[in-house]
Amino acid sequence: MKPNELKYGDIDRLIIDNVDDGEFMVHRDIFTDEQIFELEMKYIFERNWVFVGLESQCPNPNDYYTSYVGRQPIVVMRDADGNLGAFINSCPHKGARVAHHRNGNSKQFVCSYHGWTFNTAGDCIYIKDEESGAYAEPFNKLDHGLHRIKLDSYRGFLFASLTDDVPSLDEHLGETKPLLDLVWDQGPEGIEAIPGTSAYTYDANWKMQIENCIDGYHLTSCHPSFMNIVSRRKAGESGNKQVKSIDFNMLNTVPGGTACMPRGHAVIYSPNPAEQERGMYQHYDEAVERCGETKTKWMLATRNLTIYPNVQFAENASLQMRVIRPISPGKTEMTIYCLGAKGESDEARSIRIRQYEDFFNTSGLATPDDTIAYEDCQFGYQGKTLAWSQGYSRGMKNVKTGNDQFTDEIGFEPDTTTYGRMMDQDETVFYGGYRAWKKFIKDGLDSDGRS
Amino acid sequence: MVNKVEMLAEASEVLFLEAYHLDGQRWDEWLELFTEDCEYWMPAWKDEHQVTEDPQRELSLIYYGGRFGLEDRVWRIRSGQSVASRPLPRTSHAVNNIMISDLTEDSMTVRSTWQANCFFHKTNKSETFYGDYEHKLRKTADGWKICRKYVVLKNDYIPTMLDIYNA
Repeated sequence: MKPNELKYGDIDRLIIDNVDDGEFMVHRDIFTDEQIFELEMKYIFERNWVFVGLESQCPNPNDYYTSYVGRQPIVVMRDADGNLGAFINSCPHKGARVAHHRNGNSKQFVCSYHGWTFNTAGDCIYIKDEESGAYAEPFNKLDHGLHRIKLDSYRGFLFASLTDDVPSLDEHLGETKPLLDLVWDQGPEGIEAIPGTSAYTYDANWKMQIENCIDGYHLTSCHPSFMNIVSRRKAGESGNKQVKSIDFNMLNTVPGGTACMPRGHAVIYSPNPAEQERGMYQHYDEAVERCGETKTKWMLATRNLTIYPNVQFAENASLQMRVIRPISPGKTEMTIYCLGAKGESDEARSIRIRQYEDFFNTSGLATPDDTIAYEDCQFGYQGKTLAWSQGYSRGMKNVKTGNDQFTDEIGFEPDTTTYGRMMDQDETVFYGGYRAWKKFIKDGLDSDGRS
Repeated sequence: MVNKVEMLAEASEVLFLEAYHLDGQRWDEWLELFTEDCEYWMPAWKDEHQVTEDPQRELSLIYYGGRFGLEDRVWRIRSGQSVASRPLPRTSHAVNNIMISDLTEDSMTVRSTWQANCFFHKTNKSETFYGDYEHKLRKTADGWKICRKYVVLKNDYIPTMLDIYNA
């Protein structure tokens, strides 16, 4: 395999970050180049905290589910004592996967190749025919257990890291914690994934998804069919009364903001003038009593949060959790979940589900338009003669450092913000992701002595 | 007194007509095959073997408790405002293994297997979606109509997108 020849200077040249002189541009090679992809996987996904699921996906002892950290397959297990651990899903003997199902409950894992057996704490409890193995001493000194990786949890959100060379999860999440609380605290016992998941792929770069979730600008031009269907329903031109989906036209009437935080996290948000349409509204009084009016307002708000690099909580048309897995520069896998509050009423759940199916599903009325747009961009990037993207300039004269009214209300400290109308459709919200992109890669090159 | 042979022929004709209209992008004719109060339901998978069973408590890929949902989709397809819907792929549905049950004079259940082959123009890619159908048919003054279409998509790792014309 050809060694990766990219160096510091190459990374610096790919993002023109000169906001004081009114310039921020992104080189399109970052969406197509194999060597850049390799660096992203190595230093953004495999030397960083990556979201791997919810604790509620394996609630009981001996529950497990499978996932990935970057390119590396893992299994998350709860041991017999109830402790969670994450391990590479590969037998240390010859490498076969030890967890064959997406999820389940099992007291032990027996490798179906040569029979090595592991308990749910990842210990090797049996090596087939060990006594007759004539093993030399060095073999006996090896750790024959499943390879454990770092796993930590914030509230019930699970993150894993393949290396110890990362800050604490608390530090990594930093100022996003109050924003994650706005997701988690929608119910007194937190949130859970509603049964039924969907996975799909798209033929474009993973950063298309990173951008899209916090991209206000695409809404009216990419989703007019959805917006007009909602208008038609309101006007009685459609007979569909089974769902009251978000009317994005209302965003013209409300203030909106964006914020970037360290390590690539970002959010766009806006108070919701139609709170009563949300599933959570069914439990409004309980929420106010538990969290107060301001926090409840923000839990009911329109709010799209990216926890860089691989999970997004999109709360506009229902509450969706999107998990991003890059497969190649031009291919990405998405796993999507509808989230609901544990113990919520049937009515609240049903509202969340219908709204989610209407907009967010890859079989819905909106997400496909996003996904095809990404593919259209990836198609366009073949035109390498057009090297730079201009899509990072809206809001440049508005962007500020420090707090604003919204960050004060929610209670977090951003790096940069914009505050205005939601329909200002800010593009400065992408800066944090690209600044972190550079930093992760350059720090990684440093750590490998390749600056 | 129901004639099973005749009813199998009539049931098959409805299913083939549905496929014919979908593949010909004859949306009005396709909608006409459904009763107004029909249920159109494609559940999601919970894991390798189980689909979701309660559309009010669990997620579906598509769920409509009435023809209104299909009408919304047809509106979107025709609107010219959905980049995912233009150009539409060419589709070719195959409906097979048709079995009827629960026969009465004016109703029956029809199980079958389906395959929707799709050709996407912008990528020149062919994708195949497949699974099982369970239709419930009701005899009306205008002939047999679909009052329930239950679709199980077996290959739910979806290449980019899915709509009613490739299901």
